[in-house]
Amino acid sequence: MIQLFNVTKSYGKENVALREMTVHIEKGEFAYVTGPSGAGKTTFLSMLYGASKPTRGQILINGINITRMASRQIPYLRRKIGVVFQDYKLLNSRTVYENVAFALEAQGKKRYEVSKKVYKALKEVGLEHRLQRRPIELSGGEQQRIAIARALVVEPLILLADEPSGNLDQEVTLEIMELFKRANARGTTVLLATHDHSLYKRFPKRVLGLEDGRLIMDHQP
Amino acid sequence: MLENIRYFIRRALRNMRQWPVLCSAAILTMAVALATMATFFLVVINIQGLANNWSKEVQVVAYFQSPPPRNQLSPLIRQVEALPDVQQAIFISKAEAFKRFETRLGEDAGFLDGVSRDLLPASLEITLKAGSHTQEGVGRIVAELKKDSRFDDLRFGQEWLERFENFVDLLKFIGLILGSFFLFAALFIVSNTIKLTLYTRRDELEIMALVGATKRFIQIPFLLEGALQGLAGGLLSLGFLIVSFKLLLQKGLQTFWLTPVGFNPVFLDGNQQITLVLCGVLLGTLGSLVSLRKFVRL
Repeated sequence: MIQLFNVTKSYGKENVALREMTVHIEKGEFAYVTGPSGAGKTTFLSMLYGASKPTRGQILINGINITRMASRQIPYLRRKIGVVFQDYKLLNSRTVYENVAFALEAQGKKRYEVSKKVYKALKEVGLEHRLQRRPIELSGGEQQRIAIARALVVEPLILLADEPSGNLDQEVTLEIMELFKRANARGTTVLLATHDHSLYKRFPKRVLGLEDGRLIMDHQP
Repeated sequence: MLENIRYFIRRALRNMRQWPVLCSAAILTMAVALATMATFFLVVINIQGLANNWSKEVQVVAYFQSPPPRNQLSPLIRQVEALPDVQQAIFISKAEAFKRFETRLGEDAGFLDGVSRDLLPASLEITLKAGSHTQEGVGRIVAELKKDSRFDDLRFGQEWLERFENFVDLLKFIGLILGSFFLFAALFIVSNTIKLTLYTRRDELEIMALVGATKRFIQIPFLLEGALQGLAGGLLSLGFLIVSFKLLLQKGLQTFWLTPVGFNPVFLDGNQQITLVLCGVLLGTLGSLVSLRKFVRL
C-alpha cells in the first residue's frame, strides 16, 4: 500500500528532515510513527498526502509513484487519504454537518449522497445529535471526532493521523483510538504519528521509530 | 454539472453572508474606484461635448473685392454650397454688414455718423457641415475659395482653431493617462482587498485542498464571489453616479460651461451604463483571480 525507497527530505543544505528512509506498509496495516519532536514524523506523513515532495527517493502509494505526480493529480490522491491533525483543522464558521460534508462536496458528490454519508459518519463517531452546532461550541474531544468523521466519510484507503491525541486527555484519547481501530478493522490502512509511549503499549501495533530523520526502529508486536 | 453550478453559487452566496464586513469592504472599494473613474469619464465626455458645441461656431467668412452682380450671386452661392464640407453660404451685403456693425456698437453707434454706408465689404458667411469643423475641413474650403479671384480676403480663425484642436487633443491625452492610472489603482486596491479577504479565509482554502478539492473547484466560488461583488460594486457606483449627477455634477457643469447655448450636460448612455457595471464584474473577477493565484497552491 505504502512504499518508500531511500527517501530524503531536506530544507536547504543544513536542515535534513528525513534521511534515506525505506519502509513498506501493507494494505490494512496499523502502524505508529514515533519519535521525539523534530524526528521527522510530520514530514513523513506530509509527503504521503502530497503536501511536500521528497528531495530524493521514491514514494509509491497503491502502486502509483506519487513523487512523479503532476500537481493537478494531487487532489485525486488526497481523495483516497484521510488526514487528522492535532489542531483538528475545522472551520469554526461552519456547522459540524458542513465541516464533514466539505470533504464530499470537494469531490463533487451529489447532495442526497452527501447528507446520507455525513449522517452515517457522524453517527459512527457519536456526534449525530450535534449536526447544527459549531465546532467552537464543542469540547476538544468532540472536535477531534468531527475531524475523524471528515477523514473517514470519504471511505479512504489510508488514514493518516498526526498527533491526534496531543491536545486530549487520556479518556478521550482512548475513545479516539477506538475509532481508528474500527476504521482499520474495515480495511483502512492507518498510520498514526505520536510520541505517547503509553498509546502503543496499550494498543500494540507495528512501531516505526524515527530519530533525527532516520528510521531507527521497525518493531512488530 | 448543474449540481456543481448550484453548489458554486450556493457557496459563493454563503461565503458572502458569512463574511459581511469583508464582503462590504470589497464592494465599497470597487464602487468607489468605479465611481471615481466614471465621474472622470463623465467630465471628459461633457467637456468634449462642449468642445464640439463650441466648434459648431467655426465658420469661414469670404470677403468680396467688390460685390458680384445679382445675376452672378445665386450661381456663386450654389457653387460654394456644392463643396462637400459646406453646410450653407449666406450673402451679407455691404449695407447689412454696416447695419450689424451699428447694432454691435449699440450706444456708441453715433461714432458712425457721416461715415459712408458702403464702407464695409460684402461677404459670404459659410457654415460647415458636422464633422468638417476641423483644420482639415476649413483648409479644404479655403483652398477652393482662394482659387476664385472675386474673393479678396478669407477669415476663418485659423489660430483659434489650432489652439482649440490642441486643447481637445490634450484633454484626450490627459483622459487616457488618468483613466489608465485610475484603472490600475482600482485593480490594485480591489485585488488587495480580495487578498485580505482570502487571507482571513486561508484555513478554508487549506482544508479544501487537504480534502482533495481541485484547484478549479476551490477557485470557482471565489471567482463567482468576486464577480458578484463586482456586480454589486458596479450597480452601487452607477446609483451613486446618478444621484451625484442630478444633485451636484449637472449644476456644477452648467455653471462651468461658458457658452451654455444649446448645450446640456449629458449622462452616460445605456451602453456606457452597462459597460460600467460589466467593468465592476470584470474588476471583481480579475481581482479574485490575481489573489487566488497566490493563495491556492496545491
